[in-house]
Parts: sequence; structure tokens; C-alpha cells
Amino acid sequence: MSDQVTERSERDTDAVPAARPDVPLTQGIAVAHHESTGTDPWAGDKVFEIDGLSVAYGGKTAVKDVGLDIFRNEVTAMIGPSGCGKSTLLRCLNRMNDLVPSAEVTGTALYHGQDLYGPDVDPVEVRKRIGMVFQKPNPFPKSIYDNIAFGPRVLGVKGDMDEIVERALRRGALWDEVKDRLKDNAYGMSGGQQQRLCIARCLAVDPDVILMDEPCSALDPISTGKIEDLMQELKERYSIVIVTHNMQQAARVSDKTAFLIVELDSTEKNRWGQLVEYDQTEKIFTNPADERTEAYVTGKVG
Amino acid sequence: MPDTTRLQFQDELAGLERQALGGLDFVCEALDRAIEVVQHQDVELAAMVIADDDRIDGRYLEVHQGILSLLALQAPVAGDLRLVAALLHVIKHVERMGDQCVNMAKLVPLAGHEPPADEQMLAMIARMGELARSLVQQCKLAFERRDAALAQDLVRQDDEIDTLNRQCFHRALEIGDDPDQREWAMHMMLVARCLERIGDNAVDIGEQTAFVVTGLFREFEDASHPELAPGGGS
Repeated sequence: MSDQVTERSERDTDAVPAARPDVPLTQGIAVAHHESTGTDPWAGDKVFEIDGLSVAYGGKTAVKDVGLDIFRNEVTAMIGPSGCGKSTLLRCLNRMNDLVPSAEVTGTALYHGQDLYGPDVDPVEVRKRIGMVFQKPNPFPKSIYDNIAFGPRVLGVKGDMDEIVERALRRGALWDEVKDRLKDNAYGMSGGQQQRLCIARCLAVDPDVILMDEPCSALDPISTGKIEDLMQELKERYSIVIVTHNMQQAARVSDKTAFLIVELDSTEKNRWGQLVEYDQTEKIFTNPADERTEAYVTGKVG
Repeated sequence: MPDTTRLQFQDELAGLERQALGGLDFVCEALDRAIEVVQHQDVELAAMVIADDDRIDGRYLEVHQGILSLLALQAPVAGDLRLVAALLHVIKHVERMGDQCVNMAKLVPLAGHEPPADEQMLAMIARMGELARSLVQQCKLAFERRDAALAQDLVRQDDEIDTLNRQCFHRALEIGDDPDQREWAMHMMLVARCLERIGDNAVDIGEQTAFVVTGLFREFEDASHPELAPGGGS
């Protein structure tokens, strides 16, 4: 293995472009990478255009009428109290809710202008391009190498698998720590390393977007710092959407922040999540427009 | 808003605001005495003004340390962050106002023993003292009430102080040929300058009030761009 691996002095930047926005979701071909330019924070390329999106589980509304655009090469944070629907919304972005039989998604969710929920869209293709990292690290009970190689193998990716594994581990800021023990079981890694392995596993299939659902909530501060640093590197190539309960983390890592709340009806029996404010993170944490956002980020509401 | 949380933090922040604005009460006391020193050439009272400035300096250190702790331990954001940032400016201006009172007190002994005072100039300085005191009180009230309009109104009184300061300057120029009186007038010109600076500091605190309320910082008056001021500047 090591004979075949090409040592690189620095993180590779010339590999296959990550994004493939203008290719139908029914197939998977890489296309040229291009960056958003300009100083207007709302003028960049849109990865997702969400409009009037509602989600119900078993007929009960979980998220109601959400509208927001998510931009390329940015970290977008979703914050809000428990039950506000931020994870539900995140799962809509790569059709993970399809796996819940009673889930019903209505409204518009465009991914690079294509309807994510269109009749011809292949959910597997969607999840390949829009990867997900979960709260608890969930490596497969396999070697570090096989964890990374799993996705590309399943997808029948052609090419030098050693190179693919090394590239993914380098992008996941894990290569230097594990390059001499690639055959070791992933369960022997620390929690922080396991989470970076899961990120690297996600990167191995060359996604466009990475969804992160509280990726650091089970990690210590050092590991959290490494993941946050990694996110800043990854956003150069990918677009990241992160759900976090840690508001300071949202403030540190994200470019834009969406704040959701739990709304109650007059009977107080029915509750659902609703978007209150979506703006540049700096604005949200220095001068939010909505008093409910102000109350939440300053901790004045329990 | 239901279920308010972070009560300890909110108490600490409110306490810091009280401490910082309380510093303005110290400034009022020092200012009253400094004006009395000037009006009566009271050298002993001048020494008290100078010694009492330690109180204001101590308050500065307390608030500054409290703000550092709050930033380190509580990570304030949004409106709380703006308040903390504004309080850092407020306490600095309080400390500067205290220093201006000390400067006035130090100038009086230098102006000479039983100097040939000019009534017209003393009257202008007395009026400037009243205005400066009024500005200090008003900037405190505006901050406490988060009243941006009251803060903006500080500019009006400050313009009057600026005008009197210029008049003091001209009065000193034409005060006559008596060397003792000229020396006294030069020192009084510096006293007027101290009062003018206190007015500016009060207006600066007013700008911080507007920042806390609106989230946007802008100078009420920009000395380098008077044409941009509301009404075209003065």
C-alpha cells in the first residue's frame, strides 16, 4: 500500500473538483469548479434554494414554511432550541427523510436549480453529492482504509483506491495521524479521530455539500477545534451546512446563520419549527433584526 | 419573554453598567469643585480635586477588569455585546473627564497668587462649567434610558460650549498688555479647553448610547468632515 501512495508535501488542491452543480441528479459526472465572487454576501452561487418548505411526520407538522438560500463555499449554521426542526430541515437537504416512511415534504427544495424531490431524481445520487456527518461518530467496524474505500467501492469508482483513500484522509486532516496504521480497526481511534474519519469517508465519494448534524457535540474541546479548523479548510472546496446547539460554534465557523424556533398553536398542543431569521452570522451575533433571535442568542430565553 | 435565563450574567452586566455610569456622578462632583476652584482661586480645594481623582481611576480599573472577566467567562453576544463594548468606551471617557477636572485644578495655582482676573472671561468659564455639568448628566440619563434622541440632543449644548471656548480664546487675545493678566488669561484659556473636552467626552458617550440602541456606530459630529453633520455642521 505505502509503495503506491504518492507522498504530498501539502494538502492537495488539484484533485478532481468537488462540485458538479449543472449535471442532473440522475447521473454522476464531475464538472468544473468555479468560485463565487463579489462582496455582496447574497450574490454568490446558490447551492440550495428552499421556499415554502414544510415537513410533517405522520401528518403532524414538524417544520413549517421555511424559505432560505444556501450558498456555495460557505458554512451555513442552523441554530435554535430543541424541537425547532433544524435537524429535520437538514435531513431534507439530502432526502434523508425519505427513510422515514411517515415523513412528508412539501414546498420547493432546489439544488443547483434542480428539484431535489423531482420524480426522476435518484436519492442515492443525491446523498452521494450531499454527504452527511452525524452527531455521534459512526465508523464501520472495519479498517481505517476500508472505511474510506467503502463508498467509492460501492459506487464502482474507477481509479487508484490508495490515492483516493489518501486524498480523502488528507482532506479530512487525518492522514498524518493514521498513515502508518491504515489497516487498524477504526474503533481503535479516538472520538475526535473517528469523527474526522467519518468526514473523510464522506469526502471519499467527492461530494458537493457536507451536512453536519451536531458534529462536535460528543467531542472534547481539542477535537472540536480540529473539526472547526477542518471546516474552514473544507469550505474552500465544498459547501457546508451545520446544525449545532453550540451558539459559539455557529459564531466561530459559519458565514450565515439561520435561527429557528418552536411555534405553538393556540391550544399549545401542536408545535412546529419555524424560521425566524436568516442572515450573516456576524449580524446575527452582533445586531439581530428579530427580538426573538436576540433573546435566544443572548440566552434570555430558556 | 418567558423563562429568562443567565440571571447571574444579566446581574453582572447590569452591575457593570451601574458602576460605569456611577463614574459620571464622580465626574459631576469633581467638575463642581474644579469650577469652584477656578472661580475662587481656591488652591486647597484644587489639591482635593487632584487627590479625589484616584476614585475615578479606581472605578475605571474596576469596570475594565469586570468587562474583561465578563468577556472571558460569559461570551456576550448581540445587544449584550454592544452594551459591553459601549461600556468600555464609556468608562474610558469617564476617566478622561476626571483627568480634565484634575488639569483644571492644576492650572489654577499656576495662574498666579491673587491674579488680576477678568470678570467677562470668568463668566464665560462659569457658563461653560454649567453646560459641561448638564452634558455629563444628560449623557448618563440618555445611556440609562437607552434614549438615542436625548443622546443626539447633547450636540446642541456641546455647540454652545464650543462657541464659548472660541470666545474665551478671543477674549484672551485682546485682554490687554498687563503681563500678569495675560498669563492668567492664557491659563484660563486652557481651563476653557478642558471644559470643551469634557463636553466632547459627553457627546462621545451619547454616540455609544446610539450604538447600543441601533447597532450602528456613527459620529454625531465629525470634525474632519463638518459638511456631513446633520444640518451641514457648525
